[in-house]
Amino acid sequence: MPMKGRFPIRRTLQYLNQGDVVFKNSVKVMTVNYNTFGELGEGARKFVFFNIPQIQYKNPWVQIMMFKNMTPSPFIKFYLDSGEQVLVDVEEKTNKEIVQHIKKIIGKSEETLEKEAREKMKLRHPATFGPKKYHLRECMCEIKGQIPCPGKVPLPKEMTGKYKAAMKENAASEAGSV
Amino acid sequence: MRRGIVASPGPASALLGRCFPGLPLLAAPRRGRKSRTDPPAKSKLGRIKLPPPVDPAELLVVQERYRHYLSILRTLRAEFRHEVEQRRYAEKYGDVGKQRKEAAMEEHRQLMAFNDAENRRLQQRREERLRREEAEVKERRLRGDQNRALHLEKLLEEREREVLQLQEEAKDFVTLDNLEEKIEECLNNPRNYNFAVDKDGRVAKRSVLS
Repeated sequence: MPMKGRFPIRRTLQYLNQGDVVFKNSVKVMTVNYNTFGELGEGARKFVFFNIPQIQYKNPWVQIMMFKNMTPSPFIKFYLDSGEQVLVDVEEKTNKEIVQHIKKIIGKSEETLEKEAREKMKLRHPATFGPKKYHLRECMCEIKGQIPCPGKVPLPKEMTGKYKAAMKENAASEAGSV
Repeated sequence: MRRGIVASPGPASALLGRCFPGLPLLAAPRRGRKSRTDPPAKSKLGRIKLPPPVDPAELLVVQERYRHYLSILRTLRAEFRHEVEQRRYAEKYGDVGKQRKEAAMEEHRQLMAFNDAENRRLQQRREERLRREEAEVKERRLRGDQNRALHLEKLLEEREREVLQLQEEAKDFVTLDNLEEKIEECLNNPRNYNFAVDKDGRVAKRSVLS
């Protein structure tokens, strides 16, 4: 079944994960004013069409609003939680340039992202087992390469406890009788 | 009441003395064969279940030791927890935190300044572009006016030429005055229009023109 619509690749997870703009925690709202006509606003149109889904995917708690044909020139505005508004003029820019500019002025830096990833990893110790809320895995059977869960796939007879106990009894009884 | 498959004689058979000691056990005994409502066995009627015997002196000693051990562990844990809390508090509200926040604010200011510079640059470019466009429009209008003026002049000239030509031709017109003379002239000069003409307007050679 083919994908529907123009450029349905924008709806794939792989494409969305490729977006690398993560806004700082102080950014709450982003508005994009652009026009549907004009050669100079082509970059803004492409930005809205191709890059906004990636940005929203990476920043699910930021409200993004688009306004069409309200102003003669396209611009982007960020509303921070301190009340500050950041205006970014995007006329005569390609969509790549817009993304780079935004990432520079209001995106989290690479080191911040790495630090956050490391902090997150620290919370989940890979050697412990328990509830999913606090640990990575609940049982050894969840790990690749280990024995599957005996609840789903029965263990071979030789590994069950009752067989081993029976064998031990047998050996003991034979030793006793001899 | 027996649930499930009944196994062959259990481990007790070994003690009771089996007939064929070489034979292996077919299946191990199953735990918990009796359900909740089954009565206990007759052999268990006089059974009194007692807890394992305990030496009081040993028990006291062991308890005391456990008390010490657990209290040490508790204090250690509290100590570590306190340290972590202190670090977190210092991170958030202490000097380290303040410095970090200051640095972040400074960076933010710099980035905003950079953004403003970029905006100003684009604004200048936009003004430049608008000025150029205005100039172009003005020039185009001017040229249009000039062309229109030229066109009008040409028209006027043509009209004048036509009028002059008409005046010239008017001299040959037949009016009531020179009607008689014209008739005389035509009668005196008969013309034969009986000739062939090709598409280019040339007269065919073989026809006789008189």
